[in-house]
Amino acid sequence: MPEALSLLCRVPAHPESRCWALAWSPGGALLASCGGDRAVRVWGRAGSSWTCRAVLGDGHQRTVRRVAWSPCGSYLASASFDGTTCVWKRQEDGFECVATLEGHENEVKSVAWAPSGSLLATCSRDKSVWVWEVDEEEEYECVSVLNAHTQDVKHVVWHPSQELLASASYDDTVRLYREEEDDWVCCATLEGHDSTVWAVAFDKEGERLASVSDDRTLRVWRRYHPGNQEGVACSGTDPTWKCVCTLSGYHSRTIYDVSWCHLTGALATACGDDAIRVFEESPTSEEAQPTFSLTAHVPRAHSQDVNGVAWNPKEPGLLASCSDDGDIAFWKYQRPEGC
Amino acid sequence: MADMFDGIVMAEQRFHGEGYQEGYAEGSHIGIAEGRRYGALHGAKIGSEIGCYLGFALTWHCLLQKCTDEKSSKKIRALESLIGMIQKFPYEDPTYDKLQEDLEKIRGKFKQGSCHQLSQVT
Repeated sequence: MPEALSLLCRVPAHPESRCWALAWSPGGALLASCGGDRAVRVWGRAGSSWTCRAVLGDGHQRTVRRVAWSPCGSYLASASFDGTTCVWKRQEDGFECVATLEGHENEVKSVAWAPSGSLLATCSRDKSVWVWEVDEEEEYECVSVLNAHTQDVKHVVWHPSQELLASASYDDTVRLYREEEDDWVCCATLEGHDSTVWAVAFDKEGERLASVSDDRTLRVWRRYHPGNQEGVACSGTDPTWKCVCTLSGYHSRTIYDVSWCHLTGALATACGDDAIRVFEESPTSEEAQPTFSLTAHVPRAHSQDVNGVAWNPKEPGLLASCSDDGDIAFWKYQRPEGC
Repeated sequence: MADMFDGIVMAEQRFHGEGYQEGYAEGSHIGIAEGRRYGALHGAKIGSEIGCYLGFALTWHCLLQKCTDEKSSKKIRALESLIGMIQKFPYEDPTYDKLQEDLEKIRGKFKQGSCHQLSQVT
């Protein structure tokens, strides 16, 4: 598969440090990155290259592990090993920290905004997932502390259109949460991985979820609603999630991140073997048993572990990746013929 | 003739057997005593923790009674939920199958009520 994924540009984003995560702004024009140098950087296009537009360097005392944009694009949240989550508001001349969320007992591993923009989720090595609500006066309040996982929680992500939250953990499971009468409850537990689940991603409709793990597999789960045609049993009114596809044998090390493009349906993975891979659903794929094939593989995408991959939400085929080597790389993906 | 020597020949095995029975009985006895001590200690720890949460919840519930704004009503509801969870908890039953799960829910509710956030608005 030559040139299916070609390098556009490489940027030394967090020099002498690791670049841990990336997030595209909802409009697709800006990319936020964060790293071991305790800073968040925001990048914008400059011709064929990317330049740093802002450095948010004084918010955290330790590594910043994840960043997330609010759906309106005016706020950026940063989760740090120092136990706090900062919320930055976009101003004319930069970003200003408008809130610092405390409460987790140790390293915060991930942060994510709900599609409504009024809820935020964080997760930590303290095994808990917190849900925060923000009001019109930009005041944040913790509305739930969920202790469903039995180990370090690595990643939280919201459903693209519903107030449904997913979390991935060192306890080998993915859990889903929803609100029930003023409180949040765990409504599903996805078991199947043999080791730590590092990341999850929903597809565009939100009926499928992809998870990647230390067990070197990518799993695709499908949601079955009560009363479904396929006869999958559901308990009560909650849908059941079933694993419908397991991709194994492609990755030679832990898979750290997954991104599911909502424009093209392509799945990109970030792996500890320094490679980036792209998978697409085969034309003969069936809904109940989908099949995916490897359409791109760049073995030395970075010189160290690839920590994150993110598809641009507006420009099909534009992919960004970040690594322990401190760099951000931008790629152009073109679906090969006959796939 | 064989019976005369039976006592001598089987002596070792018999003593092993008797020794084992005595040891087993003594071990069970000590085990129960140790288990009781451990259970009492552990139970007291949990009681102390939950008692602290209950005290916190009742105090704040009382303090917030005078506030009528929406935010305070939300907090009051959360505190009532915590108080409810604590009161419903089956303290008499150590074999309750959802013991750990319910304890984690109580801890989570307490953390939610007691956390604060810093707003830095210029």
